[in-house]
Amino acid sequence: MKELLTRLTAAFGPAGREEGIRALLQRELENLGESGAVVDDLGNLIVSRGEPADRRILVAAHMDGIGFMITCIEENGFLRFTPIGGIQVHSLPGTRLRFRGGITGVIGQEKIKEQKDLEFSRLYIDIGAASGKEAEQQVQIGDTAVFNAPLAAEGDRFIAGALDDRAGCALLLETLKRLPSTLPQAVSFVFTVQEEVGLRGAQAVSYRINPQFGLAVDVTRTGDTPEPQFKTPVSLGKGPAIKIKDNSVICHPRVTALMRRVAEEKNIPYQIEVLEQGGTDAGAIHLSRTGVPTGALSIPCRYIHTPGEMVDRTDMENGVSLLLALLQTEWNGSWGRSW
Amino acid sequence: MLSENGAKMELEDFLKEITESDGVAGFEENVSGPIARAFAPYVDETRRDNLGNLIFYKKGKNAAAPRVMFCAHMDEIGLIVTGIEERGFLRFSTLGGFDARTLPGQEVTVYGKEKYPGVIGHLPPHLCKGEQKKKAPEIKDLFIDTGLPEDVVRAGIDVGAVVALRRNFVTLRHRCRAGKAFDDRAGVALLWQCARELSRMDHAADVFLVATVQEEVGTRGAVVSTFGLAPDLGVAVDVCHGDFPGAAEHEVSPLGKGPVITSGPNIHPCLFERLRAVAADYHLPCELDVSPGPTGTDARAIQVSREGIPAALLSVPLRYMHTSVELLDLDDLKTGGRLLAFFTTSLDRAFVEGLACF
Repeated sequence: MKELLTRLTAAFGPAGREEGIRALLQRELENLGESGAVVDDLGNLIVSRGEPADRRILVAAHMDGIGFMITCIEENGFLRFTPIGGIQVHSLPGTRLRFRGGITGVIGQEKIKEQKDLEFSRLYIDIGAASGKEAEQQVQIGDTAVFNAPLAAEGDRFIAGALDDRAGCALLLETLKRLPSTLPQAVSFVFTVQEEVGLRGAQAVSYRINPQFGLAVDVTRTGDTPEPQFKTPVSLGKGPAIKIKDNSVICHPRVTALMRRVAEEKNIPYQIEVLEQGGTDAGAIHLSRTGVPTGALSIPCRYIHTPGEMVDRTDMENGVSLLLALLQTEWNGSWGRSW
Repeated sequence: MLSENGAKMELEDFLKEITESDGVAGFEENVSGPIARAFAPYVDETRRDNLGNLIFYKKGKNAAAPRVMFCAHMDEIGLIVTGIEERGFLRFSTLGGFDARTLPGQEVTVYGKEKYPGVIGHLPPHLCKGEQKKKAPEIKDLFIDTGLPEDVVRAGIDVGAVVALRRNFVTLRHRCRAGKAFDDRAGVALLWQCARELSRMDHAADVFLVATVQEEVGTRGAVVSTFGLAPDLGVAVDVCHGDFPGAAEHEVSPLGKGPVITSGPNIHPCLFERLRAVAADYHLPCELDVSPGPTGTDARAIQVSREGIPAALLSVPLRYMHTSVELLDLDDLKTGGRLLAFFTTSLDRAFVEGLACF
């Protein structure tokens, strides 16, 4: 798991520029013996298993991450930028970025009276260029960057940028590796694009696949740190979380009930998640076409959308166990709601 | 008069039953039962879609006639448990837009392993200090007290448990009634009145009456029900702000002067005009309103579904929206139901084809 996560978090892939991470995922899939992966028009990567039947589950984890885009190259060689996805401005000064070509930059800050008034417009990226001309030889407007934050392992904890949602991608790859060839229903694993800017990849791919059920695999916030910003009982190391709701979806009660039942039957530890901010691909999947009963499996993660995202190895492993068990369970019956 | 009076009582009974039932956004099962039972005698077919929208089909006389969809959302705003504290107090978040100032002192029902009654507590005035006295509480300052010891709470209620406000239907003098979840069970009651009117009329159009889910969290039910039905046109039935002291005149509509027909960019101009014309033809009172943006109702979901579907909005004036004492005039529901029914009989293929001609 550590090696896989190291590779996945090192790959370049801010929302909209996922070529690097997609190529890596394709290599990882080929190494698993998966030759039939398909890339759709927006860049979603799709791997299907099981017979095409009238029952198919779409399992999604997004390959894109948050990032930065150059909006202006100033005469003195400093770069102005706009965030891609939800980034808290106060976490940025002093952080290192890397551009697609490998160029390193650091975020600097203008002098301001009150630190609480910090805005993106008062920040810039310094790539060491002495002038605008010199900078233009290295980068251009529209180029993107991500946190330069390679993976570190401390005990059972993994620390890296982009664990949102490369942790989910790793969970899908590990599940695919161990998935038996016969399944009670077909499943399509999708590594989606542009989740961080509005679940865009998932929206298109759900329409294409037209599944009967959906499941998103993503990270979720924890409340297990000193004076946490968000009050939630979810902690690292206590198992994957079964989502009840976030801002994008209220998970279908029958899907969450199935997830809880399977976790309990297999003695897999789990937590319940009620997230007051943020969304996941489940939000787009469940509103596709005539509606798709959808749930979400979340990997608890501290410091989301910073270079120091942290997840727990056992949560990842229990997540794989739960996803494996779920996909080997029959999702049967008429899924118009039970009344 | 007698039959009129009888009909009025039935509408009131229906409104009472469904507004005393619970159906928080995303968890509409409980309220859907009584709604389905009440519609059944007046429709040809009932079904539920994947997200729980209740769809009632009323067959038209002419197979070539238009397919029309009228929808009103059956979900209500509610709460969800986010944490269980020492001594068993429950912390919560909202499903839909509550004003935290209206929550202290409310009775609730917590849907744990069983139904638990509870109340929402807050610091009494005697114990408020300094700034607390002047400041309205926020959701994070409030908690639900079930009165149960912590171990019983933990055994019966999980994080994620859904909480509904608890409030009996209030029969006020005159024709006014108050209660919770009138937004938008009042709309559902209006649809039911329409179904009853239509059962006594000849109508060419195929009619789909939909009680939608999850409107309060982003018109989610209407997104999928509209895609599934692919109607030629859709009318959302929702509530708008009734008049009361302190509200600006242009932001509210009077109670008892009929339903409100909205115009604006979310609304197809021909549907607006047709609703107005039908009201005039049948001497039905109505009020007009303008909504300059997306309306924030199911009409928004209808308009941008598939290739685009002509949408209209009919609203019931309602005072004190998103509280547990939402208040309306029963006559506005009756008039609205009749208006929608006569609107249906006015529709033919030529009208629907004309909607695409600008």
